[in-house]
Amino acid sequence: MLGQSVDVRKGEWEARLADIKYMLHLFRKNPLVMTGTSTSLFFIILALLANIIVDPNLAYPEGYSNSMYPFERKYMWSADHIVNWGSGIALYQGSESFYLGTDGWGRDLLKMMVLAIPTDLYNATIITIVAAVFGTLLGAVAGYVGGIFDEAVLRITDVFFAFPGLVLALVFAAMFGRTIETLRLAIILVWWPPYVRLMRGQVLSEKEKPYVEALKALGAGHSRILLRHIMLNTIYPILVQATMDFGGVILTFSALMFLGFSPSPALPELGNLAADGYGHLFDAPWVMLFPGLTMLIISLAFNLLGDGLRDILDPRLRR
Amino acid sequence: MKLYEYMIRRLILLVFVLFAVSVVVFYLVRGFPTGIAPWAAYIHSRMTSEQIEAVIKAHGFDRPIWEQYFYWLRDTFSGDWGLTGTWAQGRPANEVFFNHFPYTVELSVVATIWTVTIGLLLGIVSAVRNNRLPDHISRVIALAGYSTPSYWFGFVLQLVFFYYFSLWNLPHLPSSMASDLARPNITGMPILDGLLTWNLAYVSDEFLHLILPSFSLAFISLGFLARIVRASMLEVLRQDYVTMARSKGLKERVVIYRHALKNALIPAVTLTGIFFASLLGGAMITEYVFSWPGVGQQALRAIFQGDSNFILVYSLVFAAITVVANLVVDIIYAFLDPRIKY
Repeated sequence: MLGQSVDVRKGEWEARLADIKYMLHLFRKNPLVMTGTSTSLFFIILALLANIIVDPNLAYPEGYSNSMYPFERKYMWSADHIVNWGSGIALYQGSESFYLGTDGWGRDLLKMMVLAIPTDLYNATIITIVAAVFGTLLGAVAGYVGGIFDEAVLRITDVFFAFPGLVLALVFAAMFGRTIETLRLAIILVWWPPYVRLMRGQVLSEKEKPYVEALKALGAGHSRILLRHIMLNTIYPILVQATMDFGGVILTFSALMFLGFSPSPALPELGNLAADGYGHLFDAPWVMLFPGLTMLIISLAFNLLGDGLRDILDPRLRR
Repeated sequence: MKLYEYMIRRLILLVFVLFAVSVVVFYLVRGFPTGIAPWAAYIHSRMTSEQIEAVIKAHGFDRPIWEQYFYWLRDTFSGDWGLTGTWAQGRPANEVFFNHFPYTVELSVVATIWTVTIGLLLGIVSAVRNNRLPDHISRVIALAGYSTPSYWFGFVLQLVFFYYFSLWNLPHLPSSMASDLARPNITGMPILDGLLTWNLAYVSDEFLHLILPSFSLAFISLGFLARIVRASMLEVLRQDYVTMARSKGLKERVVIYRHALKNALIPAVTLTGIFFASLLGGAMITEYVFSWPGVGQQALRAIFQGDSNFILVYSLVFAAITVVANLVVDIIYAFLDPRIKY
């Protein structure tokens, strides 16, 4: 009896492995997905190494002695740079070279962007994971239990869906004060409801299938059926949604920062860096341009990855 | 369930949603202990503490939160939405809201027109040329659309089409704000008023002002629409009646535009409706970037000032719009696809 069940297990794992191998094969065939994956990986590695590549103290000029306080190179572009922005640009003649110019504190914009990437990726990861796990569990239980609980959860999500986009997050952030934790919480508050709907729908269709009935007949408990079986079978769409949401979360997070919910104007964060260029669009366009472009690339990379994952994980879209 | 039963259910839901939204927002803006003081929007730095006390008394901020909510509810039902703070010269909140609302409607309508025309074309092209170059291009445009930070894209458009175009002596678009030419006020809708009085100078100027902000809004969602149209078009093209139409010897153009498109458009209608509703409420950042005098920008100011009355009007109107838009979309859906029953 025992031996037989081990055999079944082994076969199951082999099948899964073969499936994963096939997916990897499909993955490699699609150039867009490969681009997305490698770009995402690049940014993740950059985020891990950022504090080694660039000295994090550079972000806070107050930490430097007065003679180094770099105010005299505020919003400047290197004079010998290949790119010429046209008239009305302050040029830097000194010995240092800035590949992407300097910002309002006279800091090297490229170095600040490198320092900003871990902040953005780390916060977006936390927000996405918390929102996805919370929404998924709530949706799964609501779909499985049904009845009044289901109705109550659905009505609550209705209320959240009715809020205009950013307003709830903005009001929440404004009321709680300007800390990173508040911002995270504010965005989580806006991002969990879609997961509830998604997971609930999945569980509703899945729980009517014969294998669930078989499990019940075998005497499996509700939590075991839900967590070990139904959720494992319905996790792919959630995974895809979370990957696609990751890009959106970065954008929302940095948008809140841009609108002025940043805890400190000197914090290296992409939206915050871009906000520095708000009043200087025409005399220092790079301060707005490059952080935004980086955000676009990161978000696009994760969206390409998610889009490809969806095509690959959904058997109906494979061919 | 009959359609009218469904509608009644949804309208009951609307009442519930409005109630819940008002409670949540009311608590956040008035009752939250660590937040901005509710009276912060009504005072200025030169006021004495007695004057501040008087302001608090006059607005009833010294009462318990549930009592404040009750009075607010009563006043709201009698049409009094409270006063805004000094940022809007203390005018009634609903007056401020409805003065700026037409600009948001105008922006949303133009943005929706952009989205639908470009999104549909991209979607159809990428379905017909499935998995070939046009499809890949449309996929990249779609993904780039919803990967773009909206504020950044707005600034890039301003930088290129206003600043650099004027620098290079090319015809350039206005960078921000609405048209400041004089206009008559009949319906409150700027372009509509201009058309009614045949003030073409105003209409064209306002339209030029609309191009950049509306395109910046549309770019973010047109790709999404294109992907939906593509997916449903691909599904329809596989169906028997399309094969039938082809085997009758109809031209491919006729098959696609006369037979397939009608059915493929059903999901697009839903998406457009919901998109339009969300634009009415969600254009905050774009309005801020382009200094467009719509409600989103006012709401942003109200949030920063902690002006509870305006935030309440704003959230309630948009909660209502969202629920009603969903209802309308569902009804249109049932109308377009007779197989759907509620």
